[in-house]
Amino acid sequence: MNVPASRLTEKIALTLAASLLAAFALLAPVAAAQAAPASGSSQNVSASSHDRWLHVRVTNPGNSEETVRVNVPLELAEKVLPIINKNRLHSGKVRFDDVDCHGVDLRALVDAVRTSKDGEFVTVQNKDSDIRVAKQNGYLFVHVFEKNRPRKSQVEVKVPIKVVDALFSAGKDELDLVAALHALSSQGDTELVSVKDEENTVRVWIDSKNVTE
Amino acid sequence: MILAKLALGFCGTVAVAGAYTFHEGVMRVDEDHYDGRHVHVWVPAAIVPMALHVVPSRRLERAVAHARPWLPALRELTKELKRYPEADFVEVQDGRQHVRIRTHQGKLLIDVTEPGETVHVACPLVMMEDIARELEAKSPAA
Repeated sequence: MNVPASRLTEKIALTLAASLLAAFALLAPVAAAQAAPASGSSQNVSASSHDRWLHVRVTNPGNSEETVRVNVPLELAEKVLPIINKNRLHSGKVRFDDVDCHGVDLRALVDAVRTSKDGEFVTVQNKDSDIRVAKQNGYLFVHVFEKNRPRKSQVEVKVPIKVVDALFSAGKDELDLVAALHALSSQGDTELVSVKDEENTVRVWIDSKNVTE
Repeated sequence: MILAKLALGFCGTVAVAGAYTFHEGVMRVDEDHYDGRHVHVWVPAAIVPMALHVVPSRRLERAVAHARPWLPALRELTKELKRYPEADFVEVQDGRQHVRIRTHQGKLLIDVTEPGETVHVACPLVMMEDIARELEAKSPAA
């Protein structure tokens, strides 16, 4: 009686072990595949709710088949940039020299803009173009409107002063890109650059969405 | 009975090995050319970093030396990309040419479509991070 009972137990154990192995083999890849989007979606929620995205979109109004869309999480750029050390880029900073600025002391210029009150700094109006540079509510605005063909175009740039400050917060002759990105990520949804001409429309903006509309 | 046990052990080992091999997904490279050439490479992602262990160092030295400045950035990039499992990063449409770089289900997908030629690459991000680590460890300065 004991021998058949032990045989039966052995068979049950073997069947159970085989079933477990088969189930594991079949379900593991499925579970792994399902786990990826599940964990991903939870991360995606946190990413979409906390992360800021820099979007660049280039479209051609006359040709819907020409578009460029770039979406970059600011946090990702903040973490990756300091690791790239190539040419003038090192530790998230870019070196520049006087040649780049045509002799203009950029730091002094930025200091002057920061300490000045809100208002228009430059206004040029002639038959070819309108140019306006102004500071208002913590933003630096640059507006260029070319009136005449073939260069008829409109450029609008809106940069938070905090971002400009952060950009120039590094040592002499350096631009701190990481600090600027960090400052940018604390801003609300903002359109930074808008360029419209007869061929292309360019938009650069930040928001919390990971896709362009 | 012994044969049954051996068979069970073998099947069990194959099943576990199979499950482990595919647990990180599959790296796919699919190329279709207008002249009828097709290249389809499917490799279990878990195998690639392991394969780097057995490749002779002298075979990798040159490639690693070239890639070395970018390996830390690649490692950090893939590590960060895992936080964005479903995202479109780049999309360029120029007439009939189309390039798209995105993440989907923990994989980096690169799709290039142009008349007469399509290339689709799918790389699990975990695998890319592992490769970057392996190559960094193999680089001469490490």
